[in-house]
Amino acid sequence: MRTLEAAGYLTAGSWQETRRLILPCTDEPVRCLIAKPVDLLTYVEHGAADLGVAGKDTLLEQGRDVYELVDLGFGFCRGVVALPRARTGSWDALSPIRIATKYPRITERYFWGRGRSVEIITMNGAVELAPQVGLADGILDLVMTGRTLAENGLVEVAEVFRSSARLVVNRVSLRSRAAAVQGVVERLRAAAQRAPSG
Amino acid sequence: MLRERWQQVPPGMRDLLPQEAAHTRAVTDGLLARMRRWGYREVVTPTLEYFDTLVRGEGTEAGDRLLKLVDRSGALLALRPDMTPSVARLVVTHLRTEPLPLRLAYAGQVFRGWESGAGRPREFAQVGCELIGPSTLEADAEIVALAADALASAGVADVSISLGHVGFLRGMLSEFGLPAEGEGDVRALLYQKDFVGLRALLERYGVPPPRADALVALPTLSGPDAIRAARRYVDTPESQRVLRDLEDLTGMLDAYGVGRAVRVDLSIIRDFEYYTGIVFEGHTTALGFPLLGGGRYDRLVERFGAPYPATGFAVRLDRVLAASGRADIPSGAPDVAVAFADGQRGQALRLAQALRGRELCVTVEILGRPWEEMARGAIAAGVSRVVLVAGATAVVREANGRERMVAVSDLLDAPGGAPWSS
Repeated sequence: MRTLEAAGYLTAGSWQETRRLILPCTDEPVRCLIAKPVDLLTYVEHGAADLGVAGKDTLLEQGRDVYELVDLGFGFCRGVVALPRARTGSWDALSPIRIATKYPRITERYFWGRGRSVEIITMNGAVELAPQVGLADGILDLVMTGRTLAENGLVEVAEVFRSSARLVVNRVSLRSRAAAVQGVVERLRAAAQRAPSG
Repeated sequence: MLRERWQQVPPGMRDLLPQEAAHTRAVTDGLLARMRRWGYREVVTPTLEYFDTLVRGEGTEAGDRLLKLVDRSGALLALRPDMTPSVARLVVTHLRTEPLPLRLAYAGQVFRGWESGAGRPREFAQVGCELIGPSTLEADAEIVALAADALASAGVADVSISLGHVGFLRGMLSEFGLPAEGEGDVRALLYQKDFVGLRALLERYGVPPPRADALVALPTLSGPDAIRAARRYVDTPESQRVLRDLEDLTGMLDAYGVGRAVRVDLSIIRDFEYYTGIVFEGHTTALGFPLLGGGRYDRLVERFGAPYPATGFAVRLDRVLAASGRADIPSGAPDVAVAFADGQRGQALRLAQALRGRELCVTVEILGRPWEEMARGAIAAGVSRVVLVAGATAVVREANGRERMVAVSDLLDAPGGAPWSS
């Protein structure tokens, strides 16, 4: 939202008080929709939204047919495999390894790509719980500071991907509304470059 | 309540109810008729092919997205994911001796084995055509013009065709001088349309910034200035030739009268292994997905044993239906329902048959209901006229309830159904 502010699409703070899901923008032909991160790419892929801001993690997981054009330079985090401290020494030997995750497709690709068999337990949240109660050997999840991992006795054993917010565009909008869409892309690219990253 | 498995259809498959089916049929027939006007003759190929046939056409990686089954002899079969490999097989095995060019059209269901969800059907209809034999720009122009014409004839408003060329990207990539695996990585990211990842990858391989910038600027290379802008980025003879071809092609499309619907778009990314020249997509502002896709594929027919260059396109029927006007969809209800008094069956059936001969849709009462009940029911179901045959005369009731007596002989003889218009 701050990037949209910086690019001049939203007036400062206009989005903080409201619960509306469609915000009017200062720039007439543009409207701003607020969608759940997991649903956002669906809006853009179907053209219900021309552009969207999505985490690289959801792009990797969902593999949608959209153009990924700009790294907006915020929302940095990493996708890692983490295991309880006691098991980290032997993690290479677990076969199949049981992994709890919100990212079943990334997990499958990662382990298959290394020739390892994996049993995936798909979860919607609080993934860190699974290894502590014996549901899984480890997790594949996002970390920002590593604090949640540490507090749950988990240790990172491998980095799988790095994520940040990306600007994505519908493949038809990029053509049928080329001038307007390119205009938004360039303004957001410029705003992202001006903003201090973090 | 639909609860049991036998009450469901498999994910990604669907039923069409009468009105949708009528709309689908009308658009399919309209597209095929339009293609026939351009000299494209319809062919029909089997829904199931040998796995080997489809993989030969689509490449080994396509094996993953096929819906496969094993027949009783143990042979591996698959449902076709596209029609072109089947048409290529048909041309090479049955039409080798026919003079070129071959202009062929098709309409059929195709199947994709991907996991369902996200609005991706596993079965959908394609209508398309192939122009086999010539490798001229004239042939490409005909196919692109026909694509625009076909979409417009199907009632899609604001049709635009984005026109690119795989040679432009290929030329750009060859300039980078990447090792084989690097080129594979670049292509993978291009297919994913991940331009953020591309920039990072090119940096990692040490591609000098001006060249990397050219590739990352690809999404902006569209519209009236695309060719001029593209010339600034590339200077290989191959790329220059491609851009010249695109210029010539747009000139020809102007002559076809579709120039305004066509825009050059060098960011069109379609399968590099499959396409060898011009590539294009058809869009409308009303829909977030392309309505059709196609291009030149000069090496496909060769894989089946005949060195025929070819160009063609396929329309996604489901998307055209979603984008086309719904005003003229037939309701599917009959035009006339006929009932008869005791002993008048023969007369009623002759009347029904005569009306069918005048292109009206006619049902005959088979429930034996009293006239009043039958007439009310039929009109409530959307029938425009109800007729009671009673001897030499008939009662005709309009949907608005008005009734009149007409001689049956008038109904039978009237050319063009004159009594209906009074």
